Amino acid sequence: MIKSIFEQLSTTLIHLGEKQIVTLRLWGAQIQFDRDALIMTWIVMAALIVLALFLRRALKQPVEERPNRVQAALVVLIELLQGQLTSSFSSERLAISMFPFISTLFLFVLLANWIGIVPHMSSPTQNLNVTMSLALMVFVVSQVLAARAKGVKKYLKGFLEPVPFLLPLNIIGELSRPMSHAFRLFGNVLAGTILVTIVMAKFAPIVVPPVLNIVFGLFFGAIQAFVFAILAVAYINVAVEE
Amino acid sequence: MLQEAQSVASGISGADIATAAKYIAAGLCMGIGAIGPAIGEGMAAAHALDGMARQPEMQGALMRTMVLGQAITESTGIYSLLIAIVLLFVA
Repeated sequence: MIKSIFEQLSTTLIHLGEKQIVTLRLWGAQIQFDRDALIMTWIVMAALIVLALFLRRALKQPVEERPNRVQAALVVLIELLQGQLTSSFSSERLAISMFPFISTLFLFVLLANWIGIVPHMSSPTQNLNVTMSLALMVFVVSQVLAARAKGVKKYLKGFLEPVPFLLPLNIIGELSRPMSHAFRLFGNVLAGTILVTIVMAKFAPIVVPPVLNIVFGLFFGAIQAFVFAILAVAYINVAVEE
Repeated sequence: MLQEAQSVASGISGADIATAAKYIAAGLCMGIGAIGPAIGEGMAAAHALDGMARQPEMQGALMRTMVLGQAITESTGIYSLLIAIVLLFVA
């Protein structure tokens, strides 16, 4: 019996790095995308939206009078997120205006990491395109906020400091942030997935994978989501403050 | 015996050597690349623990900063992991 389990699992090892590429032809232009990453991203988004709509039903009654259980739980959750994520912003105004963005980012990455432990589902964050688009989103937000806070002229002048000679270095330094931001999440999630798959297919298919899934899926997934959100906060803060 | 060795050696093609080099390179890349982040993260954790023992009320802020610093330290290890993955699965 165990041998047949091994044989079944070893087929998953063959398909480990495989990607299902779907090509879409639109008016002569070809658009290629990864089918699994796309579907999983949609599933994560749908889950978040359904959860939000479901929890919103409990908020119908005014909060001040007698908050029900869901309201109390949500208040605790929001305060936890606010305290942990956006308390490192330098200004209170920025923290309040950025809180929805940062907490959405955190919840999305968290659910995207956690959904990988469900059988027949894969984390969308193990695709570099997904993490890179999230990191680019943070990059654009930080640059736009920096330009708005300092004025476009002063913002552009910031690239010429301390001496104009260092302009290419400043640009490379600025561009390396979204790169490392994306690679960090991608690498961690992919490494966890590869490790769990190899152990499952080659060594121990029965008792060990759940433990590894808890460690790599739930624990590291939560830590990486937290790190992703905290780094987004740090990047936006540095860009605005400089 | 020399002839045996020669016949074995003639059976090895360039592709075999390339595959062997790929595996060795991936192992070396991951093994050496993991040393730096491990030391760095250990130092970050040690000093954060030091601070927490001295000022337990600062635990939350210290923990957050420690995790942030460790995440940045870890990126060099992640880069070597990516190189190893590229060597094993893509190249």
